[in-house]
Amino acid sequence: MSTAIERFDDKARDAFDRMGQNEVYEGELLRHRVYTRFLHWMVALFFFLALFTGFGIYMPWLFRWFTPIFGGGPLARAMHPWFGLGFVVFFALQMLNWIQPMTWTAADTKWIRNLRSTVSGKEKQDPPDTGFFNGGQKAQFWEIVGGSVVFLITGIILWKGARTFGCWPVAISYILHDISAVIMLGGIFIHIYLSTIGEPGTFQAMIRGAVSEAWAWTFHPAWYKEVTGRDPVQACEEARKRGQIAKQ
Amino acid sequence: MTNGWIDIKNTDMMLIMGGNPAENHPCGFKWAIEAKLHRNAKTIVVDPRLTRTAATADMYLQIRAGADIAFLGGLIHYAIQNNRIAHDYLVNYTNAAFIIKDGFKLPDDGLYSGFDAEKQVYDKATWNYEEGGDLAGKPVMPTPAAQQEQAAHAKGSDTGQGQGLQGAGPAGAKGGAAAVPLLPPKTAYDLTLQHPRCVFQLLKKQYERYTPEMVERITGIPRDQFLKAVDLFTSVRKDGDMTKVATIIYAVGWTQHSFGTQIIRAAAMIQLLMGNIGRAGGGVNALRGHSNIQGATDMAGIFDNLPGYLKMPSPTDTDLATYLKRITPTVAKPDPWDSFNYWSNTPKFAVSFLKAMYGPAATKENDYAFHYVPKIDRNYSWVNIWNDMYEGTVKGIFAFGMNGVMIGPDSEKNINALKKADWLVVCEIYPDETSEFWQAPGISTDEMKQINTTVYRLPGAGFAEKDGTFVNSARWLQWKNVALPPPGQCKLDQEILATIFLKVRELYQKDGGKFPDPILNASFAYTNPYSPSLSEVAKEINGKATADITDPKTNTTIKAGQQLPSFAWLKDDGTTSSGNWLYCGSWTEAGAMTQRRGTEDPSGLGVYPNWAWSWPLNRRVLYNRASCDVEGKPWDATRRQVWWDESKNSWAGVDVPDFKADSPPKDHMGPFIMNPEGIGRLFVPLGAMADGPFPEFYEPIESPILNPLHPNQSTNPVVKKYKTDADKYAMPGQEFNVICTTYRLTEHYHYWTKNNPMNVQLVPEPFVEVPAELADRMGISGGEKVRVTSARGHYIAKAMVTRRIRPMKIDGKEMFQIGIPIHWGFRGIAEDEGKTARTLTNQLTPTVIDPNAFTPEFKGFLVKIEKV
Amino acid sequence: MSDRKTLQIKQISGHSGPSPGFDMQRDAEVCKLIDTTICIGCKACEVACVEWNDMPFSPTTFDNTYQTMPATRWNFWNLIKFNEHQREDGTIQWLMRKDQCMHCADPGCLRACPADGAIVQYTNGIVDFQQENCIGCEYCVSGCPYDIPKFNPATKKVYKCTLCSDRVGGGLEPACIKACPTGCLKFGTKDDMKYIAEERAKQLRENFGFEKAGVYDPQSIGGTHVVYVLHDAENPERYGGLPRNPVIPWSYTVWKWLFKPVLGTFALFGLVGVLFHYVTVGPRLPQPQPPLKDSTPREKEI
Repeated sequence: MSTAIERFDDKARDAFDRMGQNEVYEGELLRHRVYTRFLHWMVALFFFLALFTGFGIYMPWLFRWFTPIFGGGPLARAMHPWFGLGFVVFFALQMLNWIQPMTWTAADTKWIRNLRSTVSGKEKQDPPDTGFFNGGQKAQFWEIVGGSVVFLITGIILWKGARTFGCWPVAISYILHDISAVIMLGGIFIHIYLSTIGEPGTFQAMIRGAVSEAWAWTFHPAWYKEVTGRDPVQACEEARKRGQIAKQ
Repeated sequence: MTNGWIDIKNTDMMLIMGGNPAENHPCGFKWAIEAKLHRNAKTIVVDPRLTRTAATADMYLQIRAGADIAFLGGLIHYAIQNNRIAHDYLVNYTNAAFIIKDGFKLPDDGLYSGFDAEKQVYDKATWNYEEGGDLAGKPVMPTPAAQQEQAAHAKGSDTGQGQGLQGAGPAGAKGGAAAVPLLPPKTAYDLTLQHPRCVFQLLKKQYERYTPEMVERITGIPRDQFLKAVDLFTSVRKDGDMTKVATIIYAVGWTQHSFGTQIIRAAAMIQLLMGNIGRAGGGVNALRGHSNIQGATDMAGIFDNLPGYLKMPSPTDTDLATYLKRITPTVAKPDPWDSFNYWSNTPKFAVSFLKAMYGPAATKENDYAFHYVPKIDRNYSWVNIWNDMYEGTVKGIFAFGMNGVMIGPDSEKNINALKKADWLVVCEIYPDETSEFWQAPGISTDEMKQINTTVYRLPGAGFAEKDGTFVNSARWLQWKNVALPPPGQCKLDQEILATIFLKVRELYQKDGGKFPDPILNASFAYTNPYSPSLSEVAKEINGKATADITDPKTNTTIKAGQQLPSFAWLKDDGTTSSGNWLYCGSWTEAGAMTQRRGTEDPSGLGVYPNWAWSWPLNRRVLYNRASCDVEGKPWDATRRQVWWDESKNSWAGVDVPDFKADSPPKDHMGPFIMNPEGIGRLFVPLGAMADGPFPEFYEPIESPILNPLHPNQSTNPVVKKYKTDADKYAMPGQEFNVICTTYRLTEHYHYWTKNNPMNVQLVPEPFVEVPAELADRMGISGGEKVRVTSARGHYIAKAMVTRRIRPMKIDGKEMFQIGIPIHWGFRGIAEDEGKTARTLTNQLTPTVIDPNAFTPEFKGFLVKIEKV
Repeated sequence: MSDRKTLQIKQISGHSGPSPGFDMQRDAEVCKLIDTTICIGCKACEVACVEWNDMPFSPTTFDNTYQTMPATRWNFWNLIKFNEHQREDGTIQWLMRKDQCMHCADPGCLRACPADGAIVQYTNGIVDFQQENCIGCEYCVSGCPYDIPKFNPATKKVYKCTLCSDRVGGGLEPACIKACPTGCLKFGTKDDMKYIAEERAKQLRENFGFEKAGVYDPQSIGGTHVVYVLHDAENPERYGGLPRNPVIPWSYTVWKWLFKPVLGTFALFGLVGVLFHYVTVGPRLPQPQPPLKDSTPREKEI
């Protein structure tokens, strides 16, 4: 990536750190800085705004009660593209912010292959080469990148409508926009689950920015090693010997 | 219209020329559509532009504006040459067989016999029938009597018999009535139509020159297209078949020329030749451009008429008897024939009119107050009045229901004329260009301060705010009700006029004056004299008995004060009054015939005898006697209008017979009862036409070429150009090389609807229709602004580049014509928003008028066009 | 929807389940017949439409034609399209066609519309927009083969010709029909109008030399409740872009009847899946945790 982007990101990160703060207690590691958290929640906000207004357009008969929140169908319809645009803009910043840690590696492929045993709970800890983000997170990230591009293109076509683009592009965009939305909708359930009750200890990473060392060596061992210099497996064993049980 | 709107549905063939009924008469045009749908009727449209009428036609021919007589002459030539004429009709119902005086000369050089080049008028003595009997098979030689007579009239008056001041030029006051030539009571004739001086042979000779080649040179219509069209039109008389009928439909595209009346004459001649007049689905049908223009004409909207087409008295009419003698025609016909000569009743109409005007003040002793009636010494037509104002002799003007600045030719001249007036009274419903002439474009604030004309604006009422009658093109008098009262301080026309009249009368009463009697003694006996109800006025126009009168034949009596049932009751002894004899029968003791709404049509011919009332005497098709052969049997049994009923010894029909009801066919009374001959005139004798007994093609005053027929007499010889500094005319070969015509759009109504948002939405801005080829040459694309300039002024609007007007070959040269709608001025929605150039179409048009009807030449003048 | 007797709903956009009252009464299909061969382009129908529907005036600009505006607007549902067609012999034919909603038997707008009850089709064939349910998504615009529905930015809703359902429901003819001076517009049952139109086309072929005259009632969308008589039915495009074979994008059918239910279910799988995971596998916890007991349940622990 060009240095210009890095400089922009660094500037943004520093600026946001001055505005907010990262609370890291003893036995914890800093995971997400203020800038990242801000972007994450902005993306989340616009995602849900777009999602709920989108429901009004997607299936009014099922989600009829969503639209009144936004002042009725026509207003929901009118705001939806702006919410979508907000989502795309903040996500684009997030993408610049995360482009480096989200780069796909061999370890991620391995992680995906190992998915079944992770999901089934057989393996309590992630593979030792799992870095700052694991393969699943990266897969979702890149799905959102792709989905956003689809949203943006089809969204503009739908926004400007048949008068600008003709009937067929609109008719096709329709489907693609919906498919993209449905995939993202499916993904968001998993994302929320894993970041809250599915993997306890994760949520605070996006609140205070910090995670426990135990969380780190359990789910992102390579990152733990990178940050602390210690071996994650060994650290875990030592903790077990000390009888120290990880805080949830 | 000789026929009526609904009657068009009975036709088999339509020639629409000089009119655009689909756009300007869309509701009436439905009957043309009915004829197409239900009779497979064909339509031929001849017009300078492919109009919306042309869009529905079977054939469209693009003609050079103003070349109509050449086309119609060519049509006459074709019909005669191919025997597509109605022989029996021609011989018996027209003057085809009449012999014309020796010495009459056809205009091979552009001039008929008797032209006085200095005065630009004709001595019409030779334009007359020869006296005598049946000349069939007799040797032809000039009669010495005829030669003498011709010599006698060479210096005589050109005032026509029974035709008032027809032919008066703009400046020409005319001399005594002493030498008025008359029609011979017994005309010579040749029913074989072979006599070289019989009308038919002269007609044939006259139009032999109008070959398809000549028509192409003049009109720009390719020969093959012309032949196809005339073949189609005359196909109704193929092989002598008399059952089919063709109609000719026209509007102001014909009248607004310096030879407009003659174009219409040519159409009438075609219809007489082909036997189409008087018949359902036939006739010559003038489409009126305003809802009540027919009524205005009937009620003397023209200066040389009194109501009911009575001639206006002239200064030589020293008493009533002289006047009546001058205007009452005497019978002129072949001896064995009969002629009704209905105008012989003129004295009854005139005296009843005077009784209606002056009531008890009109007595036998004082010539029924004939001396109260103004006598006109010269031409007071619209253009002349404004010309006089321009020259400073007319000092004030009342403009009621007329936007003078917009409607006249050469608007600039008219605006300048108003600047010279002392006062101007405008009664309108919107601020218009006339009432605001002082802020016309180009007048600076300093100049405005120099204008001393006092303008009085009177708030009038719109048509939906008044009741009264409209007379439509079909001559129906239809009563309409008020939809809304006039808003605010607006007043009804009759209230405004009555208030002015009563004030003037009061002033005359108080102060006296030169001649107060006509004002003081005018009959004004209305219930509310300050706002007379129009039903009272309508009843007055119909007329009533002023004393008990009895018809000895039927032994019926009408009591004094009762409404008259028909003009047959009118008397010349002062016992009846009628404001307009033609309308007598419209409001009888039985009530207002004009308010009838009966929708029965037993014949299926669209007569609707109980719907409103049609003048004269509820006859729907004029001259309907001509729908039957000489024996009184209809030419077409499926379209029976009237017929001779032998059992009742009278004429009967689904329409009211326009004929003497008890005149049996064996008497051979002519069906054209308003002519002293009783027949239709192919040849117009004496003074009825100022510019020739047959129509001859003349170029418009502004024409790109010299007349190919006679270049030395290119334009109408009796048309006079105006001489003020404002009157400039372009000549062939100058920079003005594009032919221009003006017209109305269906979306707008004259100069009103530019104030109505709906109409403005439909067509928001002025435009100029430009042929695509001309636009290419000038580098003009659609929507760009162009400036059209004539010798008099300029007009700026956006170009509508269209392929509906094609380039033409005129006399071998490529030429273009453009068209400009007339609707925009300098006041209106678009104008006030600054969306137009605020120029007026009539800034371009020339001040020149037809010598018969005095209509300006709005169609066909020269301009140049350039990009702004 | 004023009179259930004449306006019975047949189809409703975005609506699950049956249309209420459908098939309860017999109803004739209505139809507007437009004979372009006798249309004189007088625009009386345009004015009648604006007046009856009480629509505001909107400014227009001259654009080199007689046409009032380039295309219909949300407040101008009835527009005569003027087209100059050059024949092979160089002569010009001036074609005028009244453009408005065609009230298709298979309405693309209704197919595309996602909003419940925003578009209804009555059993008499009228396709009517119910603006109170419209969400302004403009999908109907893309579903229409005739470019008819138009969006009003102020109300954020879409409007079009109603075939005067309010008048027709009350037993009157549409306003445009009433205003037409030449009778080129007719209104009646579809069968009658079809018959008159075919007769007229025959007359044009046999008596007026229009060999290709015919009736426009495209079967690709199941026919329309507005039919045209054309001088040249083989080239409807000449009349201001009248499509020869109008089609509704297939994607609407696929989308509505296949993707929507399937995708909806798919999205729910995400929710169901994670819940299932939580109660079966349970959360993954940061290590170390207390050692696991033997996970095989004994009888008393069940």
